[in-house]
Amino acid sequence: MQGFIKTLIGDRTTLAVAVADVLIALALLHSPAARFSGLVLPLCLLASVAFLARR
Amino acid sequence: MRDAGWITHGEEMLLPTLSTVFLTASVEWVEAYTILLAVALSIGWPRALQAGGAALLVLALLTGLGTLALSQIHDLSVLQFIIGFFLMLFGLRWLAKAIARAAGLKNLHDEAAQFAELRAREAINERRAAWFIAFNGTLLEGLEVWLIVLALGVQTHHTLAAGSAAIAALLVVAGVGSIARQPLAKVPENTIKFMVGAGILSFGTFWLLESLGYAWPLGEACLPALFGFNLLGGLLLVRCFSVRRTGMAR
Repeated sequence: MQGFIKTLIGDRTTLAVAVADVLIALALLHSPAARFSGLVLPLCLLASVAFLARR
Repeated sequence: MRDAGWITHGEEMLLPTLSTVFLTASVEWVEAYTILLAVALSIGWPRALQAGGAALLVLALLTGLGTLALSQIHDLSVLQFIIGFFLMLFGLRWLAKAIARAAGLKNLHDEAAQFAELRAREAINERRAAWFIAFNGTLLEGLEVWLIVLALGVQTHHTLAAGSAAIAALLVVAGVGSIARQPLAKVPENTIKFMVGAGILSFGTFWLLESLGYAWPLGEACLPALFGFNLLGGLLLVRCFSVRRTGMAR
């Protein structure tokens, strides 16, 4: 079961990073810069990848 | 609830879906093959294949159950959000891991070393324990394939085709494995993981934002652009981390 959950959601840090990215997406979409979400979110995700890779 | 035509993706997504599933499955089946090979040397191929087959049966059952569960979600934007989030989560993990390995921050996954480690285990010589090592190993490696088949298959309405791509990858690995009879250490696993990670992250980003109401300026044509961005960004990170690491070592 532990292996199943780890495969599905990974560790806590990765999950927290993904949730933070979703919150950023939500904030962006409700801001005046909503139309730039498609540019900003990929950048945020790449920054998240960099953080996770360095860990 | 949104219009189904606006939010679902069909034929044009088939090729990217199938290639992503095939590549993901290839990497995972290579790892599962190493486990089965190590176990087969102790308890014989018939029992090792029986354990692997039982795990595949569980995975097929899980695919059916998962498809059924997801088809109960009638609000398509909720379904797209769930799938987008899991693909994003999965893509983040695979891409980060592949970058860390390519940059030398983590050791590359070595099938030969994994095989030696498994062979050194005492439990592998005990029939029952070895059977469970083969079953658990195949099941855990297959779970990632299951997740991708389910997510991409349900979202693009090609679950059967996605499942077939995973089976095709299984047949290729089994074919090569039956000829090689040794761990498939020459498969460029990290390069494949890097590309699949970039691809899955692109799917996840696209569907997550779309489920939250964002209209991509060029529609699905943005997907290749996202893939290119993740690929180039990933390569840049590998270069950046490698340089830093070399600099620190001096």
